[in-house]
Amino acid sequence: MASDVVMPEGLSFGEALAELEQIVRALESGQIELEDGLARYERGVALLRACQEKLAQAKQRVTMLIGELEGDEGASAGDDGGEAEQ
Amino acid sequence: MASAERALSVSDALALAKGALEGVRVRVVGEVSEATDKPGYKALYFSLKDGSSVMPCLMWRDAYTACGAKITDGALIEVAGFFTAYAAKGRMQFQVRSLVLAGEGALRLQVAELARRLEAEGLMRDERKRPLPSFPRRIGVVTSPRGKAVHDILRTLKRRYPAAELVVAGVQVEGEGAVAQIVRGIEAVGREPGIDVVILGRGGGSYEDLMPFNSEEVARAVVACPVPVVTGIGHEPDTSIADMVADLRASTPTAAAEAAAPDADDVGRRLESQRRLLGRALSHLVDAYEHRVCLVAQRPVFCDPMALLGGRMQALDQVALALGRALPQRLERESAVLENAARAIERVGPQFTVAHEVRLARAGEWTVAAGHALVESAERAIANAAARLDDLSPLAILGRGYAVCYGADGAVVRASAEVVEGERVRVRLAQGRLGCVVETVETEE
Repeated sequence: MASDVVMPEGLSFGEALAELEQIVRALESGQIELEDGLARYERGVALLRACQEKLAQAKQRVTMLIGELEGDEGASAGDDGGEAEQ
Repeated sequence: MASAERALSVSDALALAKGALEGVRVRVVGEVSEATDKPGYKALYFSLKDGSSVMPCLMWRDAYTACGAKITDGALIEVAGFFTAYAAKGRMQFQVRSLVLAGEGALRLQVAELARRLEAEGLMRDERKRPLPSFPRRIGVVTSPRGKAVHDILRTLKRRYPAAELVVAGVQVEGEGAVAQIVRGIEAVGREPGIDVVILGRGGGSYEDLMPFNSEEVARAVVACPVPVVTGIGHEPDTSIADMVADLRASTPTAAAEAAAPDADDVGRRLESQRRLLGRALSHLVDAYEHRVCLVAQRPVFCDPMALLGGRMQALDQVALALGRALPQRLERESAVLENAARAIERVGPQFTVAHEVRLARAGEWTVAAGHALVESAERAIANAAARLDDLSPLAILGRGYAVCYGADGAVVRASAEVVEGERVRVRLAQGRLGCVVETVETEE
């Protein structure tokens, strides 16, 4: 359920946030055409939504590349939480 | 009997003891205390102790310098030498011939040597240290799969930034084989696609426990890792070689996890602020354009649909009005004129002949007057013409003071050479004539 949120055009979170901040600056400058402004706003909203969803993703995926996780906290550290919090 | 023996001097007694002591050559391990290392002294003085005993030691400076080790209070060292006596103070002491750091001390020496070497290679320089990513997609974790450290790291990252995926290499971090496993773990997560940062961690332990993180192999694996490495090894006072070559050194595994990922709450606040700014910026932009449209819309031409044509429409109305008024008025006026004329004709008709006679008489008078006037003007014209004629006559030229000379033959004399002295000439003036005799003749050159 809490599958990975796909960012627009496969942007990384950092890239998406940087583009969003750039859009805000461009809109704030007031130096753009209204149509352009509206298009950028829509793009900004899409980026914002993707970022927020990505951030709100409650379940952290843990992949064991080598070895097995052990120990008293092992069960809880890996794969609960996400389901419980959904 | 003992009393029969000759008593020794103090010096002899101590010399005897010294000889006996110096036969005891041993190797001793102990902890350094009260070390005194003053540059001016010929020897280094310290005490070596264990739980219950203390022995004073000295080491000649040459021997100390040659051994390459540096001792400090608390260091565990192994010394080789012999006991001797210092006669001046009547004191027994151990003279150290050679010295090595023992146990942890030896390890520290070894580590310090490696650190020096790697530093000389430039592996610890700040310029080599890479910045950590602000928003890592996948975070590699190399640590023991059991114990507190891995759970500290997982819990911290889950709390702070669940958006990142964790790729964990659970490796043995102490004892035989640990170095090879740690190296393999770093290499494995470094190869994974999308890994932005690697956390290398382990919990606190003894200095010896942390030794794998002081190995050259691990240090080189950290340096070779394609993405930045954050270390969180042991606890604060311990600094391993891995810490020194890492891109960032955190004091504990938890601190390393905090450094590797942002706090989702902070990021959320940043997104929220961007959301507000985005909305506000758009409404400002729209407002700005609306204001511009408004300014244009407020121009009279758009406010009142008649504004553009109003003036002309009104002019048209006025012309129409004037026209409407003018036509009947003109007709009226002109018919009145006609009527007046008719009436005048009726009235004037009978008087017409009388008026005519009067006009005839007047015309007669006018004709006479005009006749006089005509004659007068003709006379004036003649006089003018005569005056002009006069101007052109030779008489008129004479009238301006010139004279004409005639020779005896009656011809006009034009040059003095035409006459001779004594000749009679006649001179015509404007008024009258003169008979003259030429007295002298002057010829102009």
